[in-house]
Amino acid sequence: MSADTVDAAVGTIRGRKKVVAGVVGGALWLWLLARWAAHNTLLDSVFTAIGLPDLIRSEVRVGAREPWIPAEPFAAVAEALGGVAAAVGPAGVLVEWLAWPFELAAFATSTGPALAAGAFITVYLTVISMAFGLVIAVPLAVTRVYGGPISSSLSLAYTELIRGTPLLAQLFFFYFGLPLAGLVSGIGLMELPGAPRSAAVVAIIAFTVNSSAYQAEYIRAALQSVDEGQLTAARAVGLSKREGIRHVVLPQGLRFAIPGWTNEFVYLIKYSSLAAFITVPDMFRRARDIGSDTFQYTEIYVVVGLCYLGLVLTTAIAMQRLEDRVALPGVGTSTGRE
Amino acid sequence: MSLLRVDSVDKSYGDEPVLHDVSFGMDRQQVEVIVGPSGSGKSTLLRCVNRLTEIDSGEIYLDDEEIHGVDENELRRRVGMVFQDFNLFAHLTARGNITLGLREVLGLSKAEADAKADDYLDRVGLADQADSYPAELSGGQQQRVGIARALAMDPELILFDEPTSALDPELIGEVLTVMKDLAEEGMTMLCVTHEMGFARSAADTITFLDDGEIVERGPPEQLFENPEHERTGTFLGELTGLHQ
Repeated sequence: MSADTVDAAVGTIRGRKKVVAGVVGGALWLWLLARWAAHNTLLDSVFTAIGLPDLIRSEVRVGAREPWIPAEPFAAVAEALGGVAAAVGPAGVLVEWLAWPFELAAFATSTGPALAAGAFITVYLTVISMAFGLVIAVPLAVTRVYGGPISSSLSLAYTELIRGTPLLAQLFFFYFGLPLAGLVSGIGLMELPGAPRSAAVVAIIAFTVNSSAYQAEYIRAALQSVDEGQLTAARAVGLSKREGIRHVVLPQGLRFAIPGWTNEFVYLIKYSSLAAFITVPDMFRRARDIGSDTFQYTEIYVVVGLCYLGLVLTTAIAMQRLEDRVALPGVGTSTGRE
Repeated sequence: MSLLRVDSVDKSYGDEPVLHDVSFGMDRQQVEVIVGPSGSGKSTLLRCVNRLTEIDSGEIYLDDEEIHGVDENELRRRVGMVFQDFNLFAHLTARGNITLGLREVLGLSKAEADAKADDYLDRVGLADQADSYPAELSGGQQQRVGIARALAMDPELILFDEPTSALDPELIGEVLTVMKDLAEEGMTMLCVTHEMGFARSAADTITFLDDGEIVERGPPEQLFENPEHERTGTFLGELTGLHQ
């Protein structure tokens, strides 16, 4: 069996496919970053402050933003194909199918600006929640593996409670159940035009709590796969248990945890769409709104689905690169198994 | 004055007695070899000395200080250990394996630690492998790094827990050579090993442990030529026969 068939998992694609994925993914991110920059209030104020020309249109509302890729060429092709379909009679159904991707592309370019604005929220919800989640997950996992009976069962209880209840229920609990939303907007933590500013913060809190439990499980498994002799050797040199865990077990364990961690990352990109249910205008909520405005539900959900797919695939590829980069001979990674 | 004194030590895992009334002492610059069948408690005895395992009763003195009154990390700095499975830190280079303890425990600067690590790697003949990771080294090389790691902490005593048992036969020699050099330089060593050649030539005293008790203890000539107990003779005879 060749290496290509063994490593068929997402993110481990090789050769020409990898180049294609890299180019498409790179183009997607270039477009996203450019869109975000073009309507960024902070960049705008920086540009104004240093006297640069007024290139950034931060005052333009999401609904009014101009698409950069024109829809007309796609629409024209679709129309032409529609004409052909009408001319060839019953067999025209097939031609209509051919026309559909072009209609979809035309639709995608016109909805692109709104989806890009939503993608910004999707990405920061995910990234911030993953980062905070990791900060909680590492001590949770260490306590679970190396803690005393009480602290490790507390860690276990937290993990099982969070993993055993639906994310949507947790989100509603934090949003409706706790007075968190009022508290957050009272402090005025975050301004988010077009939405109760507290909603995004509550979403981050809920996702952080949720993802910390899952991440802790991945890290626990990884820590347990570090050979016991490693900590023994660290202690035999004179390091305390805490120093041994920090300098010997964690550097190895966290490397082993990357594949599982990638999995959680990919999950959270998609499950952050639940934030739409507490009014956060993320990518999914924008899509829903566009659907109810245009009644083109099929089209918008296909387009937003492709956008999520793009985010997920580029994340998987990036995480694979991270895994390869931090790999050491004999620690983690698939090198030597090919 | 003896450097290490083990006094009526008892240890059991649950209901399973492992060590019973074990007492012996060793002086500085002595090499003591512990032999015995597997399951006789040799490794446990070694681990009791640096408190990787806690004893149930009895006393252990290092330099006339009861070790349970000493901070365990301080104790382990003073008592080095070399493992059967090497247990090198897999994510660190040969040099990094040595400098971790130097920096975190002894508080040396990076430059000092690096220089000292390179010195000790040179001493075990691995100066050219300083930047290699454990996975890139042979078993014999890994164990020599393990010895350098223990040695660099300037311990008063080094414990060797079957240092050659995990090695291919052709790699045992290089490790034993390093150990013999250490013995000649006057390092105090407490070794559990099945290498009878090493025991015979390098040990000052051999202790035969069976079923958690010291059966017989004495200089190599006595145990090999003239054992008091039949069990000792049989066991040593079998081992020597095996390894010739």
